[in-house]
Amino acid sequence: MTAVAISRAALILTVAALLAVPTVLPLLGSPFWIDVVAEILIWSLLAASVNLLLGYVGLLSFGQALYFGVGMYGAALSVIHWGAGFWGGLAVGVVAAMIMAAIAGSVAVRLTWHYFAIITVVFSLILYFAAMSAKPITGGDDGISFSVPDVVSLGGLKLSLADQSVQYYTILLVVAGFYGLFSIIVRSPLGVRFMAVRENDRRAALVGINVYVTRYVAFVLAGALAGASGALFAFFGRYASASYMFYHVSGEAVVWAIVGGAGSLLGPLFGTGLLIVFREVISTFWEHYLFVVGAITVLVVMFAPRGLAGAWNDALQVLTRSKDAGTSDTTASSGEQDLAKSTTDATRGGSGA
Amino acid sequence: MGALVIDGVTASIGKIPVLRGVRLRVEPGETVALLGRNGVGKTSTLRAVLGLLKRTGGTATYNGVNLDTVQPHKLAALGIGYVPQGRGMFPLLSVKENLTLGLTRAPAPEVMADIFRRFPRLEERLSQAAGTLSGGEQQMLALARCLVMKPSLIMLDEPTEGIMPKLVSQIRHEIAEIAKRGISVLLVEQNLRTALRLASRVYLMERGTIVHEATPDALRADPASVHRYLGVSL
Repeated sequence: MTAVAISRAALILTVAALLAVPTVLPLLGSPFWIDVVAEILIWSLLAASVNLLLGYVGLLSFGQALYFGVGMYGAALSVIHWGAGFWGGLAVGVVAAMIMAAIAGSVAVRLTWHYFAIITVVFSLILYFAAMSAKPITGGDDGISFSVPDVVSLGGLKLSLADQSVQYYTILLVVAGFYGLFSIIVRSPLGVRFMAVRENDRRAALVGINVYVTRYVAFVLAGALAGASGALFAFFGRYASASYMFYHVSGEAVVWAIVGGAGSLLGPLFGTGLLIVFREVISTFWEHYLFVVGAITVLVVMFAPRGLAGAWNDALQVLTRSKDAGTSDTTASSGEQDLAKSTTDATRGGSGA
Repeated sequence: MGALVIDGVTASIGKIPVLRGVRLRVEPGETVALLGRNGVGKTSTLRAVLGLLKRTGGTATYNGVNLDTVQPHKLAALGIGYVPQGRGMFPLLSVKENLTLGLTRAPAPEVMADIFRRFPRLEERLSQAAGTLSGGEQQMLALARCLVMKPSLIMLDEPTEGIMPKLVSQIRHEIAEIAKRGISVLLVEQNLRTALRLASRVYLMERGTIVHEATPDALRADPASVHRYLGVSL
């Protein structure tokens, strides 16, 4: 079995496991975990927005919580004031986050490295304090609650988020849709340009790539992912709060993305999953569980700098290489092709992690 | 097609001047070599023309367009191709992605067919990550990527550096073929033999300025200058 085939099988298993969650977990007596998995899916979109910038364009943003918060309020306020439905609220949340990213990005992507990281935090803090002080609109730290509209309301057919399974599958559908979109983008010529800019922006400019525009497009798309995450979280929690715009939320997303593997499509999903499950399990025993999260992050950065996804790809390469060594020359050369392909795949998430 | 005119270009890295009034011309369809010892400013000259090194004085024009007014990403559209020292690949991208990276639409089939006729090894390795190619193959890819953009001027920075000897002659042949198509070439080289074989005119550089200009034949007949400026014997 080749590395690509193994990754593909792992992807299919992951999808099957996610689809089975509402059926299997209640049988194990843990319906609470359905909501935890739903939460992981939602937060993973925020980690994916960090991943798009860090892993594919080479920009480390510590301000993605801003777009998460704007998405959250876009969804909540459109439901409260305009009577928007679920899909309308989601769209408003995503578009509002993209507009916010378009405004902030026009300045931010002129900078790189730590200057970029700092300006993203600055934008995030400005809007956080603005949202905190605009209490009549945002509810400040307390937030605003609302009743969620139906997901589908066609004649006699009504699907409501009040039903745990409907809520889970709705979240899974939306998150899968955004991951699908993400996958299409990073495999498109635009995604190749993202990676060229990440690898060497000067060189990229000399082959005709407008580096500023490329980074700007990525920033706005990352805003869309964070906005979708925020809008979904608003529907999931039935409220929106300015506290989610604070930079520690952005910091968590950076950790999830790095632990999962920045630069791989699904790595941040696994990073988010690992650390949220860890939080849910350990925090019941020990309130200072963040020490362990910090230790995990340090260990990953030191020993698996490409995160869980990178470690997975490395393991697959070792596995397929050792298999190839034991077979004929012809097989070995096709193994080399697989290796080279999986190296290329690893840069954009490829199959599986 | 027009000429590349570099007129009195000066540039510094920090406070250290690296170019002191460089003057050179590349006429349409001409192959010009820029030679000199390590650190005399050959690569800096190319970088200053491309805007990668800030010019502090002088002008660089191509086809009458002042390159001061052109952003780096628009140089390719102006017809200027660049193959930097060390090939300038995007190692994690595939060969195919490297080839088509800067194009706004898919290249014409005849363009790709021509590339693959010249560099058949690239066609065999289209889906392979560029970083896994050998040095010679990477150099071929760099040349091919330049040709896909249909340039009228190619600047090559030490294209035979670090290439195994049996591939050097192939790279040399391909550069000669590029010149035969009427594409201007500005070649920065350490390898005197390669430069004299390919160029119709040679500039010698020393301490950030052009100190000698000659045809290859004139230079062959002047071993004293070669030894003085390049420290080698013919």
